Amino acid sequence: MKILDIAFKDLTRSFRSAFAIGMMVIAPLLLTGLIYFAFGSMSGGDVSMTAIKVGVVNEDQLPADAVLEAPIGDNIRSMFFDESVKSWITASDYPDEAAARAALDRQEIGVVVIIPQKFTGRYLSGKQDVPVLIVSDPTLSIGPAVVEDMVTMMVDGVAGGGIAIQTIMERQQANGIQPDPAQISSWIERYGNWYRDFQRALFHTPDRAALILVAPVAGEAETVDPLQKMMGATMAGQMIFFAFFTAGYAMMSILREDEEGTLARLFTTPTDRTSILTGKFVAVFITVILQGLVLMIAGRFAFGIQWGAPASVALALMAQVIAAAGLGVLLISFVRSTKQGGPVLGGGLTVLGMLGGLFTANIPGGMPVAFDAIANFVPQGWVLKGWRMALDGAPVADLFIPFAATVVMGVVMFAIGARMFKRRFA
Amino acid sequence: MKAIEVNNLKKSFGDFQAVQDASFSAEAGEVLSLLGPNGAGKSTTISMLSGLLAPTDGDACVMGHSVIREPEAAKQSLGVVPQDIALYPDLSARENLVFWGKMYGLRGPALKSRVDEVLEIIGLTDRQKDHVGKFSGGMKRRVNIGAALLHKPSVVIMDEPTVGIDPQSRRHILDNVKELNLQGMTVLYTTHYMEEAAELSHHIAIMDKGKVIAYGTHDALIKMVGEQTRIDMTLNAEAEKMLSDWRATEGVARIDSTDGKVTALVDDSNRVLPRLFEAASRAGVRITSVDIQEPNLETVFLHLTGRALRD
Repeated sequence: MKILDIAFKDLTRSFRSAFAIGMMVIAPLLLTGLIYFAFGSMSGGDVSMTAIKVGVVNEDQLPADAVLEAPIGDNIRSMFFDESVKSWITASDYPDEAAARAALDRQEIGVVVIIPQKFTGRYLSGKQDVPVLIVSDPTLSIGPAVVEDMVTMMVDGVAGGGIAIQTIMERQQANGIQPDPAQISSWIERYGNWYRDFQRALFHTPDRAALILVAPVAGEAETVDPLQKMMGATMAGQMIFFAFFTAGYAMMSILREDEEGTLARLFTTPTDRTSILTGKFVAVFITVILQGLVLMIAGRFAFGIQWGAPASVALALMAQVIAAAGLGVLLISFVRSTKQGGPVLGGGLTVLGMLGGLFTANIPGGMPVAFDAIANFVPQGWVLKGWRMALDGAPVADLFIPFAATVVMGVVMFAIGARMFKRRFA
Repeated sequence: MKAIEVNNLKKSFGDFQAVQDASFSAEAGEVLSLLGPNGAGKSTTISMLSGLLAPTDGDACVMGHSVIREPEAAKQSLGVVPQDIALYPDLSARENLVFWGKMYGLRGPALKSRVDEVLEIIGLTDRQKDHVGKFSGGMKRRVNIGAALLHKPSVVIMDEPTVGIDPQSRRHILDNVKELNLQGMTVLYTTHYMEEAAELSHHIAIMDKGKVIAYGTHDALIKMVGEQTRIDMTLNAEAEKMLSDWRATEGVARIDSTDGKVTALVDDSNRVLPRLFEAASRAGVRITSVDIQEPNLETVFLHLTGRALRD
């Protein structure tokens, strides 16, 4: 009972300290919030795009001897007027380049696609020296890039078709068969229709797509907003860092009490010293658990973070609590006063947090292999692994290895720290 | 049964012997003062009594419970008021008292009513919800004492509770000690103020350099120096110049000098003082100030150690 009384007293004192609350809850939320607003503003917090306004000047004409029924320019033009892209591309025809450029200058459109007069003829002859010209508003980046990609894909498709037909003709000739011009025209038309349908289906009706990209995890389609996913990793990193700090700070109460004289006074009461130390450890555990829960709930509502399956989350949180409490007890057991405690906690936990990858959780492409290997030697690294797995939706069984590694490290550190405290105070 | 019994208590820190063979006792219901200068070993002695330090040798009992063999029972009989304020500044006066009460095993309605009583005793009922950190030094001292009284201990140890506080708060604390004693509590009071020891105590143990050098009632201790009067003098010349002449003067029991100030113990100041002036006059030395004190604990300490209590 006295253990809980001591723990409750420590918790009351912690939660009355503005500094403690700031470090426990406000600082991690504030830092995560700053990252959220920084990245959220790049997409306006919403991934939907305003329509790209495209002007098309199609001057392409079919050469007299062409086997095609229509110039390639028509295919390129029709791509921007297709029903499937109407929600995000608004296309307009312009009679010539001057008219289109004038519209661009007036900012009526953002991108102009100019298909020159002899595009089909030169393309079919294999010279390809009359390119499609794309002119864009210099203040735009995404719209012109999308249009360029679409044109490139269409032209590549045509080139692919040309190569295929050329190969068929060569094979026929090699076998002594004279290609039938009417048949070639039919092939081109069939290929063109197939390629158009393929493009349409690939990007706009995934259920009918000829090519489906499958995420490597669990065989389920990705449904999480990338921003949310990034925020999940960021928040986890912040939460872990500050959980370790909170545990150290909470454990520092034993030094504070030593300096305030209340620890000596406690020793004069009929309360055994093991109970006093245990009460303080219990307070550290409860503080870190409460901090984790508050941050998770805040992260869910403030940033829409989906932490994962409840059992996995519970395991990740327990690992965090055990590791943070263990390291907190160990670090503070080496410290002689609260004045020493600040720099030791601040410096030590920042370095260990960096080594554990807490601040580099969102580096594109990840960190070098050596860096990841170092993370295996610090508890923060294993706690982060557990959280990342939980955030990725891993089942609880998958978390057993990081959980076990964290518990072993935490318990060893806790045992060493508790022994040092007992030798010092008991 | 004696409330406090200290037998040949010793405490060493390395080669340094902080307490050497200390022995004294207090009957139930009396006030016993440990009087001595800073560093005399008073705090170390009560630290062993209250279970903070383990004795190197010897033993002490509180209400018959050995602090070595039955520490929990001894602690349950004790209320300790530390020299420095030992409270939680960010908890209210009431929260502090409730917490300390729980540490002595009080719970529920008994705890609540006892906290109310103690708040009344220390005169802080109106301020019970205020954080202790906002209190004045004197108010903190009162809460500091109150926290030791919650479980109605048989013995209260007070370690220099009046150090560094204003006269009004000091008076309040001394009155509290008397009140507690009237209620039947045994009080072990450490101080280096002989006036406090004289006012409060039934028995006084004088400590110096880790040893109990005298023990007895106030009057018995005074009798150790007989009817000797203490005379403090300052001179316009080196004190050493006069000491040998004065030592040979009839009626001078003891004479020493510290920092140019001469302190003498004499049998009858009315007769001896003119002789001291005459001797000084013969030697061409002028006495620039004289202070005469009737026999008191200060005189006793001087008599026993050759030093003033506050040296």
